[in-house]
Amino acid sequence: MAAKYDVVVVGSGNAGLSAAVSCVVQGKKTLLIEKHNLPGGVASSFSRGRFEFDPSVHEICDVGAGDDLGHVGLIMEKNGIDVDWVTVPDCYRCISKYSDGTPMDVTIPAGREAYIDAIEKYVPGSREPLEKFFDLIYEIRLAKVYMFDGTPNDPKYMQKHFPNTLKTCGYDSLSVMKALKIPQKAIDIIGVYWPYLGVPLDEVNFFHFGNMIDMYVTRRAVVPHHTSHEITMTFMNRFYELGGEAWFNCRAEEFLFDGDKICGVRTSMGDVECDQVLANINPHIIYANMMPKELVPEREKKLYAARKNNLSTRFSMIYFALNKSCEELGLTDYCVFFAGTADSRKEYENLKSIDNDYNILISYNNIIPDASPEGTCVISFTKLFSDGKDWSEMTAEEYYKAKDKMIEKCIEDVKKNLNIDITPYIEEVEVATPMTFARYLGTPEGTPYGFEVKSWDGVIARMTDIEADFNIKGLRHIGAGSFFGDGYSSTWINGDMTAGLACADLEEGGK
Amino acid sequence: MSKVKLKNYGLKDIMYFTNKPKEREKRIEAASSQKSGAVFKVNEKAAERHPEQQEFVIEKITDRGEGVKSYTLRKKDGTNPAFFRAGQYVVIRQEIDGKLIARPVSISSGPVETLDGTIEVTVKLVPDGFLSKYIIANWKVGDEVKTSGPQGLFYYEGFRDEKKVVACSGGSGITPILSMAKAIASGDEDFELTVLYGSKNRNEILFADEFAEVMAKTDKVKLVNVLSEEEAEGYESGFITADLIKKYAGDDKYSLFASGPQVMYEFLDKETDRLGLDLKHYRKEIFGSVKQPWTLPGYPAEAKDKVFNLKVKMCNKEYEIPCNANENMLVALERAGIAGPNRCRGGVCGWCRSRLISGEVFIPELTDRRRGADKKYGYIHPCASFAISDCEIEVPNNK
Ligand SMILES: Cc1cc2nc3c(=O)[nH]c(=O)nc-3n(C[C@H](O)[C@H](O)[C@H](O)COP(=O)(O)OP(=O)(O)OC[C@H]3O[C@@H](n4cnc5c(N)ncnc54)[C@H](O)[C@@H]3O)c2cc1C
Ligand code: FES
Repeated sequence: MAAKYDVVVVGSGNAGLSAAVSCVVQGKKTLLIEKHNLPGGVASSFSRGRFEFDPSVHEICDVGAGDDLGHVGLIMEKNGIDVDWVTVPDCYRCISKYSDGTPMDVTIPAGREAYIDAIEKYVPGSREPLEKFFDLIYEIRLAKVYMFDGTPNDPKYMQKHFPNTLKTCGYDSLSVMKALKIPQKAIDIIGVYWPYLGVPLDEVNFFHFGNMIDMYVTRRAVVPHHTSHEITMTFMNRFYELGGEAWFNCRAEEFLFDGDKICGVRTSMGDVECDQVLANINPHIIYANMMPKELVPEREKKLYAARKNNLSTRFSMIYFALNKSCEELGLTDYCVFFAGTADSRKEYENLKSIDNDYNILISYNNIIPDASPEGTCVISFTKLFSDGKDWSEMTAEEYYKAKDKMIEKCIEDVKKNLNIDITPYIEEVEVATPMTFARYLGTPEGTPYGFEVKSWDGVIARMTDIEADFNIKGLRHIGAGSFFGDGYSSTWINGDMTAGLACADLEEGGK
Repeated sequence: MSKVKLKNYGLKDIMYFTNKPKEREKRIEAASSQKSGAVFKVNEKAAERHPEQQEFVIEKITDRGEGVKSYTLRKKDGTNPAFFRAGQYVVIRQEIDGKLIARPVSISSGPVETLDGTIEVTVKLVPDGFLSKYIIANWKVGDEVKTSGPQGLFYYEGFRDEKKVVACSGGSGITPILSMAKAIASGDEDFELTVLYGSKNRNEILFADEFAEVMAKTDKVKLVNVLSEEEAEGYESGFITADLIKKYAGDDKYSLFASGPQVMYEFLDKETDRLGLDLKHYRKEIFGSVKQPWTLPGYPAEAKDKVFNLKVKMCNKEYEIPCNANENMLVALERAGIAGPNRCRGGVCGWCRSRLISGEVFIPELTDRRRGADKKYGYIHPCASFAISDCEIEVPNNK
């Protein structure tokens, strides 16, 4: 057996990277194992010809800047991760239909004032309820800081200081926004971000959704200057600096137990001894293939049975490199949502079919001028699916045809909505599907999002169950399937927090 | 440190005000714990479609003359080989004296043949080569051989490429073009293909019969043989120049596909400049590793012919091996029997990506296709890097 480690982190996705760095910062002897030949999972990049593409990032929230650091910003600072961020000035343009069927074409800037001004312009009468809405999500921000500051929470204090947070946090987002008397059309505009949490407004908990809007709108989003591979490299660099060890192209096959406590990991490089494991692997896969069946807690079997059909959003990404600049082409926005309807419940149902109208266009060069060589640009389209069935039932031939159809659809979307024909300028084009993500990430059905944050299984509900869920000695799950849900920020926070718990266990055990 | 633990407790307070967690408990309680094993169809399909490894049996060997042989490979387990795009390659992985040697080789059959259970690869003997020599000398009918799944990006992309394609090829570079021609004949691809095929003389021309067969089936494929050391009726002579390309391209818009040895690209790059072709319309197959790095600009002459000491960290193992400055660093790993993942061997695919811990390497610009952040943080593609001092690198596991 190889040298004994305090912690083995299996999988180097966003959660794994964050956890691994957090462990070495806390002075733990840490090994990071990754089955792929490079780290990052979805936080990566790939090259085609003279272009480099980011496989996934649209916008990253909760980083903040200067002395207004967000939760993520604080973690990065604490762990010595310094990324070259670029701030995203506008939220989005959205071309869709309002819930009542009338056409929508709105461009929404970031920043509370500008955001409210813009919505008031499109939907007169929104200002007053929106001011209340922003006061509320600001209160939620403060409540969150209080709850996460590492000291016990006093219900009386919370009642006094965060009364509205407590009043609303048990409800879905649609109900709360309606209760605030926000006009439906304005709700439609605010709700454009719903897919980033994977479930519609009438399902997603307001605490979670409201906080996301606060992070995107008030605090503004950022993106890495040189693709998310750069973020990954920054994590890795810090990890090595503090003595971390990483094994690539090495697969963790099985978790090893001494009685009911983890004692090591069986890998394609042999067995590794350790006290704690942080597994950046979906629990479905851990329980099915990676540990003794008799050690899987009854409650966990039930939880994953209850979640069986609740795998969250699957994605297709269509990447183009064009041999003209955004300016020459007239692509002026960083991010444009093309949605069939702004009614999130209806759209969620539409997303069950791969032939849906939903699409998100990102034109990177608009905020990162050197995202590609001069005179060119890189753009991507994101298509969403709330079901994976269509993908799993295709023959190879149908699969290639479906990919071509996606490309056609993207070209058509830009033509129809923006009156721009990109066809003559395509120098590179690549399509990633749920299959592609399944292949590279190994997540169930290729979802990078974990489990739907359904009303019964939202982030708050999961956090209150943090001790009951995944109750296995020395083994913890981190990643999008864990308590904090999907997204770069959430999984970094989740990785860091869970590493904190593992390190605390180690200290209790006298390490 | 127990402070950290408390972080999460605060949220429990909210339970006084919400009934959600109770609902969660109810849901979990109501679910069955009997369900066994998770099966994810998308993941299974993905693995099927992109096999890491394919095990074949050699079914037939066709001697094409001039040190070139084609091998028809059938999957050992009777399933069909992974479907591919005409123009893609597989990596042949062959153990020689206990060391795993890998080389990319284009598939010379058409995609439709995978449905009959086979692929064909064609190997040309490289004079001072290693694996090509071994294959030509040793592979016999009935032998078991291993390859990767289909790889590479050199294929027709209808959304990018013009309907008309002029392909320039030389030597064994003809194989992916032949596959494309076959794919057009079988209806798997739909474009017009004019092949300018450079050879020294008529004896060197490969696949004349195969092209004739394709052209009997479709008028979308045309073949023009270009002889550099012979003049003959019905053949073009000289090199594949801008004028020759123009002559066959006609007035329509066209895409130029190039597939051949390094010297052919060096020549063609100048010709395409004259044609004013932009990069969208000029696609090149990878040609593998750079040879003779000392002939390239920026190479420190004093490194040539030296043998440096290469420290290699691979997971929990460490090695010290010799590294010949004249060969790329992946070859040094292969010679030592410790090469990790690799595919294109031309710097492009990133599969061999490794961390340079210390030392200096020469990276020819021609094949430097590393990610931006990798350059910043000192990562290299050993297949496209040459040691110019003693070095220490960390490589991915080779199992
Ligand atoms: C995408 C692509 C497609 C291709 N398709 C085809 C094709 O269809 N048909 C075809 O014939 N060719 C094809 N090629 C070219 C083919 O890959 C090369 O011709 C082939 O790799 C030559 O292999 P070789 O080992 O004989 O010679 P090389 O790799 O050119 O030269 C030998 C190398 O091996 C090293 N070496 C020597 N001794 C040892 C040892 N003991 N252990 C390890 N290394 C040693 C040498 O230093 C040298 O670098 C293709 C190449 C690419 C990139
Ligand atoms: S093997 Fe493709 S980059 Fe080295």
